[in-house]
Amino acid sequence: MACKTEHEVPVGVARTWVKYVEKGTFPDTRRTFQVTRCNHCQDAPCVEICPTTALYRRRDGIVDFDGKRCIGCKACMQGCPYDALYIDPATETAAKCNFCAHKVEVGLEPPCVTVCPTQAIVAGDLDDASSRIAEMTGRIPLQVRKPEKGTRPKVFYVEADAAALVPSAAPPSSDYMWAQAPQALALPGLPAPDAAGAPRRTYAVREQHRNSWGWKVSAYLWTKSLAAGAFLVPAVLVARVPWREPVPNAALLLALLALATTGALLVADLRQPARFLWTLTRPQWRSWLTRGSYVIAAYGLALTALIGLGLARRPPPPVLTGLTALLAAGTATYTAMLFGQAKGRDLWQSALLGPHLLVQALTAGAALFAPSWLLFLLPVNGLFVAGEVWGRHATEDARLAARLIQDDVRFTTGVLVLGHLLPLSILWGPSGLRLLAAPLTLFGLFIWEHLYVQAPQRIPLA
Amino acid sequence: MTIERLLPGSALQSYPPADLWDDWREYDVKAWPRRVERHYMLVPTVCFNCEAACGLLAFVDRETKRVRKFEGNPLHPASRGRNCAKGPATINQIHDPERILYPLKRAGARGAGRWQRVGWDQVLDEIGARIRKAFQEGRRHEVMYHVGRPGHERAMDRVLKAWGIDGHNSHTNVCSSSARLGYALWSGYDRPSPDHARARFILLLSSHLESGHYFNPHAQRIIDGKLAGAKLAVMDPRLSNTASMADFWLPTYPGSEAAVLLAMARVLLDEGLADLDYVERWTNWREYMSHRRAGEAPTFAAFVAALKEEYRAFTPELAEAESGVDRHRIVQVARLIGAARGAFASHVWRGSASGNLGGWQVARALQLLTVLTASVGTPGGTSPSAWNKYKPFFWEEPPAHGEWNDLLFPKEWPLSHYEMSFLLPHFLKEGRGTLDTYFTRVYNPVWTNPDGMMWIDVLKDEARVGLHAALTPTWSETAIFADYVLPMGHAGERHDIQSQETQSGKWVSFRQPVVRAARERMGETFRYTYEANPGEVWEEDEFWIELSWRIDPDGALGIRRWFESPYRAGEKLEVAEYYRWIFENAVPGLPAAAAREGLAPLDYMRRYGAFLIESDIRERHAQPVEVPAEAARDPETGRVDVGGKPVGLEIDGEVVAGFPTPSRRLEIYSRTLEEWGWPEEALPGYIRSHVHRDALDAARGEMLLLPTFRLPTLVHTRSGNAKYLTEISHRNPVWVHTRDARRLGIATGDLLRITTEIGHFVNHAWVTESIAPGIVACSHHLGRWRLREGEGSRWSTSAVRLAEHESGWLLRQLEGPGPFRSDDPDSSRIFWTDGGVHQNLAFAVHPDPVSGMHCWHQKVVVARALAGDRYGDVYVDTKRSMAVYREWLARARPGPGPEGLRRPLWLDRPLRPTDATFVAPPRPER
Repeated sequence: MACKTEHEVPVGVARTWVKYVEKGTFPDTRRTFQVTRCNHCQDAPCVEICPTTALYRRRDGIVDFDGKRCIGCKACMQGCPYDALYIDPATETAAKCNFCAHKVEVGLEPPCVTVCPTQAIVAGDLDDASSRIAEMTGRIPLQVRKPEKGTRPKVFYVEADAAALVPSAAPPSSDYMWAQAPQALALPGLPAPDAAGAPRRTYAVREQHRNSWGWKVSAYLWTKSLAAGAFLVPAVLVARVPWREPVPNAALLLALLALATTGALLVADLRQPARFLWTLTRPQWRSWLTRGSYVIAAYGLALTALIGLGLARRPPPPVLTGLTALLAAGTATYTAMLFGQAKGRDLWQSALLGPHLLVQALTAGAALFAPSWLLFLLPVNGLFVAGEVWGRHATEDARLAARLIQDDVRFTTGVLVLGHLLPLSILWGPSGLRLLAAPLTLFGLFIWEHLYVQAPQRIPLA
Repeated sequence: MTIERLLPGSALQSYPPADLWDDWREYDVKAWPRRVERHYMLVPTVCFNCEAACGLLAFVDRETKRVRKFEGNPLHPASRGRNCAKGPATINQIHDPERILYPLKRAGARGAGRWQRVGWDQVLDEIGARIRKAFQEGRRHEVMYHVGRPGHERAMDRVLKAWGIDGHNSHTNVCSSSARLGYALWSGYDRPSPDHARARFILLLSSHLESGHYFNPHAQRIIDGKLAGAKLAVMDPRLSNTASMADFWLPTYPGSEAAVLLAMARVLLDEGLADLDYVERWTNWREYMSHRRAGEAPTFAAFVAALKEEYRAFTPELAEAESGVDRHRIVQVARLIGAARGAFASHVWRGSASGNLGGWQVARALQLLTVLTASVGTPGGTSPSAWNKYKPFFWEEPPAHGEWNDLLFPKEWPLSHYEMSFLLPHFLKEGRGTLDTYFTRVYNPVWTNPDGMMWIDVLKDEARVGLHAALTPTWSETAIFADYVLPMGHAGERHDIQSQETQSGKWVSFRQPVVRAARERMGETFRYTYEANPGEVWEEDEFWIELSWRIDPDGALGIRRWFESPYRAGEKLEVAEYYRWIFENAVPGLPAAAAREGLAPLDYMRRYGAFLIESDIRERHAQPVEVPAEAARDPETGRVDVGGKPVGLEIDGEVVAGFPTPSRRLEIYSRTLEEWGWPEEALPGYIRSHVHRDALDAARGEMLLLPTFRLPTLVHTRSGNAKYLTEISHRNPVWVHTRDARRLGIATGDLLRITTEIGHFVNHAWVTESIAPGIVACSHHLGRWRLREGEGSRWSTSAVRLAEHESGWLLRQLEGPGPFRSDDPDSSRIFWTDGGVHQNLAFAVHPDPVSGMHCWHQKVVVARALAGDRYGDVYVDTKRSMAVYREWLARARPGPGPEGLRRPLWLDRPLRPTDATFVAPPRPER
């Protein structure tokens, strides 16, 4: 409450909140309380992924943000493994606990610390050996949330209960003991909240990261595949001599159109669409969102140059075609690096993702320009899909996200049957139906992208 | 622009230092990380949400003159700068876009929802004239002030005494009067003041780590005590947050607590853990021997033997059978309590005392442990409240009145600890009286009290209630049925003095209208507080002064003189003068402390907001008192009287203060109960509750409903318009144990119909392991409603329809809370659709025959909802209401008592009349 009033945090979002978890059977039931907030990580994924330096780590270690630099891309919400960030509905920019830097800077504790009746929160400078916090961290066994993420959090817990510390141990619900917390989607596959004695979350706020990336991001992945594949397939797969043959103008135009749509989707997904150029003009170079924007922009320029040459009926220099092919591949695959920076999405931390994105691009391109290649590409893509869904996962949360995909009827019907098995059988079958293979393939690719983007966003983070 | 650091390096301090409060500079959070400086005047005040009276510090923007936020006041001795959620949420209440900004007068029938804005002058003239007429016509008993949220140390008493009426009614009998009576019977002091910080063992029959009286100051000190090694035990059938933090959770079946406590007492006695020297020295055991064991030798050894015999039945086995708590755990806790001798802190305030028939015996049984462990008033023990509470006095005190209002203290409950407030509608319906003018002050009986339909019935009836004025900061279900709705300020919008017994020490704090205070410090002047508050929101202090002048403009009624300035003879008292006089004359040490700062006492309080008068207060009863040689000494008790008034207690030849009881001792045996019709309860004992297991018919599916638990984030009916509090707490499903849920075939979220004696309500189930099997529980903090738009906060209320149904009334929800448009964009962001269910409406009245307290726990039938039931339904048959009232009325044992008294003279009562008034008029001849 002190936090809400200090920052006038809008209704519906929270910078810090107390999670209740109950476990045990009567009369040995216990409720534990965990104050939950930004961890001010030493290696903060939100800072790394932020394309515009709106999020930054101060010299004193506080991870702060500047809403006026934020473009509302929500990448930070994917990067944060702790669900600390939200989009402020008043400013449409990202916000979170900033350790009340405006107070700390003048020498005052954050209000959540001073307000606490039982002084359960201790704040201070870990680097100052004479501070109470430094003394405590040296003396008392401490825990952090999700140490395996390697973020090196600076919020420590004393005598924390794993049932509260591990988000999926007591999964979120839409109804708590005295509040509602409407969730976008229910989460199957976790223990029933009524199971006597099992850890149960009895108070929490709404999950803030849920569906921060919606259908526009799924669609962007798909149009991006098309944009890359529409060039790569004619230039590399179909060409008798790769690189050296001009790509037909129709393919170039289609690639450029798909790329423009990709850009439009990206911009449309921003909460501050008018600030979209800031990824280029105020770059934060470690962010793959920034780097990707440059790759996309460069690919767009290269395609435009090729089209220009085509219109002028001048053969493109092979170097340009080669470079364009590289940019197309980059456009297709950079997202693997971006998703890799999304530390909050375990499913995306997959070594398969890069090559898979390339295969998807080629599959999309083949659907457009070389359907016969699908006989080879669809099984390969299917193997990648199988690998993502049924392969070994490094973490429980990744496994859980994969399970969400497996259990989804859109996966079995849309991706497996309509997107892979049916087009393959059509391609083997009578030639009259072959035209149908391409749209089915593209449909399957889109459903896959959507499930892949959505599923890990449903995993509880806090 | 940068603001220099308070401390070098990276060191942090908790609060802005007081010498910088006048022009405190802070970075604007909205502009951050751009360093935009804002200037604030930090003005202290006192929270108005619960009664703990924690300190707040208002950040008044020096430029906009608007309050930006409330933080804690570090100089407040009890809250020490810390607050619960309800403190900072004050800012929501002040900036609530739906608050009542101007006085309203009804334009149609009462309760019909038509209002017109009026000016304060008109309000004062109209109400003043009416009261004046009643007084002139000798109808003083028809004017009543009914307070929900008190505060205002003694100020209101003074007003009503000046008016010469027995017209003070309170909420206490739906709140704490059973526990109060239990404590008062022991020591004459009706509240406990545990010294948790220095305790070795703490036993709570409450949830003071999260809610309840003085939650924030007590929680601080309970944790201080725990960190210093104290063990904590909590008796509560529901796993409260407090129980969850305890070393021992004792989930007692409701009503069995006294049996468990007496079993613990038995362990102390049998195992030699009791401090018998202390018992011999301070209790009235001799009285017990002479009245109850007349044939035996009056020796202490005989008393100890008798006491053991009295409690022989309370074996750990019996305690387990009654409470469901493992007997070994009971014995273990008893031994730890014994080992904590001298430093056993404990508390019961509501909980079992307010839930059960005979709940006052719970407090007595708990205090028995305090006495047996010699922990009365010791460091780490439990003190009487009055030692740690400051009360002001005035330049002139109006004399005690000579009225006895039978609507407040009727003959049926001669020992009722407070007014029989919640029976007011039943009394009016029975024709025991009528009200000419009725003030409710931050009081919402329609919603808070049991049997709210009866309140609606009576409040709508102009023949029974001539005028109803609701003094309230927010809309309430009761204000709907008022003739005038008079907006009074929140924490930072009014004057008050506050002091509470939160710790070993005595302090006073000052609630003040912060914007007025800030602007006056900046050089402006105001005649009335409403000129500086939002709209024309006023405060009661000034309202009562003005109203008293209108009642008695020429002074002929003898009222006006009490509202004249102590500094300007014959002139109207100004609110600043009232506090100036108190701070200059009635707070020991304050003038000197102020002088050290070069300030006048009033300015000191305006600037710092609180003052610690005394700390580490202990064992006041053992302090010697000077008495004249001719003072009379009672041979049995050792009581010393001067002029017929007890003044002390002779022990070992020395006269000490003792306790304000008839024996001047700790009364383990109550002669009062013996003589006033309750001989079987003369010792701390165990009364089987009206919801005892044996009283439930399992075949009918009867269960016990525990309908009283607070949420940490709300306070009854006052916090609904705080958006941030409502955001995190807005529903109150019924807690059902897993085993009961299985039996009933229900799961979390299913609709239940809970049938009470007079009706039913429909709510969702919350299946949990955090409640004892066999009982269900529902928080009383939610289920606010509005009949029409504009008459209730849309942050928290559900829109309802109230209609006749079968043989009673049905309240049905039309729609829950939802987004609405207002000046505050947050109102369009409301995501909750559930405002909870109003259960109290379906409860009949249960006045305890001794304390008069409403016994809250309910015997109910829990079942799946029927077809046609809707979430939030409340059905009440008001004919059954009166029938249940009569059943409980029949349990009372009416006065008068010995010597024809209406009430024992030694038992205090609010707005105490003259002693002569205690004598009941002779019964009319047949």
